[in-house]
Order: sequence, then structure tokens, then C-alpha cells
Amino acid sequence: MSITKFDAVNIGDTLGPQEIFLSKDQVRTYARTCGMDVPRFTDDEGARSEGLPGMITPGNMSMGLLATLIDGWAGPGGLRRLGTTFRGLVLPGRTIRLCGAVTQKDEAARTVELDVWLESDEGERLVVGTASVELK
Amino acid sequence: MPTILDLHSHSEASEDSRAPLEAYLNWIKLRRHERPVDGIVLTEHRQFNAGADYRALEDRFGLMVPKASEVETDYGHVLVFGVTGEMTRRFDFANVRLGAQELIDEVARMGGVAVPCHPGRPTVGLCEHYAAKPPLENVVAVEVLNGGSRKGEDDRSMQLVRTYGYRAIGGSDSHLVSLIALCATRFEADVRSLEDLVRELKEGRYEPVDFRPRRKPVPAAVPDEVRHNGG
Amino acid sequence: MAVDYDPALIGRVFEVTDPVSVSAEAIGKYCAAIGETNPLYIEEAAAKRGPYRTIVAPPSFAVTFRNGRHFFTHVPRFGSAGFDAGKDVEFVTPIRAGDKITLSSHVKEIYEKTGRSGSMVFVVVRSTVRNQNGEVVAHIDHRFMNRP
Repeated sequence: MSITKFDAVNIGDTLGPQEIFLSKDQVRTYARTCGMDVPRFTDDEGARSEGLPGMITPGNMSMGLLATLIDGWAGPGGLRRLGTTFRGLVLPGRTIRLCGAVTQKDEAARTVELDVWLESDEGERLVVGTASVELK
Repeated sequence: MPTILDLHSHSEASEDSRAPLEAYLNWIKLRRHERPVDGIVLTEHRQFNAGADYRALEDRFGLMVPKASEVETDYGHVLVFGVTGEMTRRFDFANVRLGAQELIDEVARMGGVAVPCHPGRPTVGLCEHYAAKPPLENVVAVEVLNGGSRKGEDDRSMQLVRTYGYRAIGGSDSHLVSLIALCATRFEADVRSLEDLVRELKEGRYEPVDFRPRRKPVPAAVPDEVRHNGG
Repeated sequence: MAVDYDPALIGRVFEVTDPVSVSAEAIGKYCAAIGETNPLYIEEAAAKRGPYRTIVAPPSFAVTFRNGRHFFTHVPRFGSAGFDAGKDVEFVTPIRAGDKITLSSHVKEIYEKTGRSGSMVFVVVRSTVRNQNGEVVAHIDHRFMNRP
């Protein structure tokens, strides 16, 4: 895996898109691993009884997926800040895309700002956010 | 000479945006071939910073940055162009329950123009309110192209244009640097100032323009009835 | 109309959780759950050669620590129960295998706005994540959306 160097980065550079099939099993595993073993994150029927269209992906998991995208691009230890807004439900059993773009560069601090987002297979941005990353 | 402006954007002054104005303008400079706008209007949420002076950035980037506001009313969100001290004394822009009719009429009387935005959006858009309440009077234009719209919302907004004959604008509603100017408004006239903008919104000819990359399925083109809908 | 709440709520730490031990195994399970494959996080030998000399957790592991049992009794409500509207996380120090982690939380901000789903009151809770040395691992600002 090649790590992005500060001097090689330009505003406008993109991360991903990384396309993954987010399976229900993967979401269940995440939920159970992280102490969120509740119906909305593990069971379609249970989620529907709460008024949801089916089981949903925890916001923390969406955040974790975006952080993994950034970490893979910047190298471990680079991620300084990640802020996300959950705009729409991320329903598992579908393909999603993890994306990012370099929007600002701070020469003095050797950091970059990123826009990051998780989009559905129809291109709808379900989770959006920004990140600050320190690069070597 | 036609002028293209993104009429709806939020900088870091809006609590849910982390985009500095300079980063927006830099992004437009880099993406000029894809998003050929002449400027962006900052429509910060529930506030108007009369003291903010962006002339240095305007000069550096060769882009206009008029200031406006997005306020919240009993008929949904509304963009207010041509904000004056008289307006901000008359209306508390932080109030999430302003009276829309009063806002539209008083803003017009004070020399500005109030344009309902994302009318097709649930709860905060005109369409849903029109289903339950009498339509507003004296609406000049609505935003039919909004970069943050979900599937079907802009189509619903278009229905208002067809039904009521409103003029139509476009804006990105950007809260992220990379989303600036993906939707905009193309004015036939030369717009060089906030005064020009307000005048053209009220009386001029303009249409929304869509600079988003095409994805499957291809979105419908802007219908003829919103092109040149003015004069 | 401003949101009505007791100003004394803001800034007052309402909860500090009991320490939770972090094992290399727990980190490994988390990595598997989010598809993280970097050896620094999951292979002892690679981690020893890396900058931290031991297995560390990927940064998003910091948001997985559970708040205390009584967390939500202290978070002010305005109508409906709070939905998770988003998080802002500042990553300060990596979590190492063997660390013991605590969370200390306070209400940071309360504000109102209207959106797709109606009138909303946002309550922002800051949880500061610390290790056994008292070092700040992360600051997490949770935004909870309430519908009055």
C-alpha cells in the first residue's frame, strides 16, 4: 500500500472511490463486536417494528469505513479529525461507495483537509463529512 | 454578457458547514472548465454578517461573493437577497418560525427579494405547505435546482413553477468545498453587484443550470418553461 | 423562540465511565468488522516494527466505547429520543493494546433548527476519551437530534 506524501498531494486529488458490497452479515458482525446487538442493526423484522424500512448500518460503522479509506490513503497516525453528518439511512445488502477529495492544503502544518462521503449505488450521499489529515 | 452565479451556499459561518470561503473560491478556480460560474452567493443559515468584507478574496479570485441569508419560516426555508440593516432589525433571522408572507412582502418593500428554496424538500419546502395552506402571494421565484436535493424533490419544485408561473433559480446548497457551484443560475444580463442581482431576480431573465456530472439514470434536462422565464 | 434549558447544564461533566481494557484481540475483531487490513493494527510482528512498537487500534476504534448506563438520563431531551445526527472526532493519541480507556462526558451545546424532518433541537455532547495515563486519546462530539 503506498502512503500519500504531503508534497505529492494537490487540491482536487481524490480518494477512492472504493466500492464495497455492504452485506447484512458484515453489519451484524460490526454491531455485535461493538456492543450494539440491537434489532435495528441486526434484524430486518426487528428494525421494521421500530418504524425503519429494514435493518440499518450504525453511524459509527459508516464513520469507521470512511476512516479506513482515509487511513489507507494517508497512512496510520495521519488522521487528526473526522466529522460526519448522517443524511440518510445506509441500508445493508447494497453496494456503497466511499469517496473523498482534497480541498485544502496547509503548508505550515503539513495537513490537508478532505471532503469525504459515503454514497449509495445511485449516487446519493448518505453520510458526508470532512477530515483533517497530517501527511509526511 | 450573461452571468452565472451559484445562488445558494454555506460557508463555515453556517454551523453545519466546514467550508472556508477561500477554499470554495479556490475550488471554483480549479474546476472552472466544469463549473463556469462568475461567483457564489453566501446564504448563511439564520444570520447575516453585515460587517463581513470579502472584497480582497473577490479581487484575488476574480469572482463575485454577494452576501445573503437562508432563513426559516412557517412555509419552509427562504433565501433573502439584498439584506439591509432595516430587514435585520425588522426580522430576527435566528427565529426558526418567521412568517413567510410577511417576510416576502416586507423584504420586497425594503428593496430586497425573498426566494423560497428547495420547495420540494419535506417539511422545509413550499410544496408540502401548499398542500395544507393557502399559497403565498407575491412570490417572484423559487429554487427548482438544489444540489442537496434527494430523488424527486426538484421535480416537485418544478410542479410549482408550472402551476404558479414562478421564475426558477438554481443553487448548490453546498456545505462542503467540493460541492460548490454544482448547480447555479444563468442570468442573461450582466450582473456585477448585489443591486444588479436583486433587480435581475425580480425582473430579469434567468434559468437554473446543472453542472453535476451525469450519472445513470440521466436526470431530466431543465424543461423549457423555466428557461428564459422572465420579462 | 429560543430553546428552553438550564444554562448550568452546559459544560458540567455528568459522567465518567469505568475503565475498559483494550486487548489486541479486541482490536483485531474490530478491524475484521470494518474491513481494516493494515498489519500495524492486527499483526504483532509488523506492529513491533512500526512507529508505535505495539499493536494500536485504527482511529475509529475510539468511537466504539460505550457510554455509561445512565448516559441518556443526563442528556437533555426535547420531545422525542435523540437520533444520532453525526459525530465530530478529534484524534489525539492512538489507543494501544493493553490501554484502559475511560470516557468523560458533558453537554457542550444546544441549538434549534428546522430541516427535512421538521423542527429539531440538537444536543451536542462531548465525550473525552482518555487512557490509563490520563492522556487524551480523542474528543468526540456527538450530535443528537430531538423532535419537539
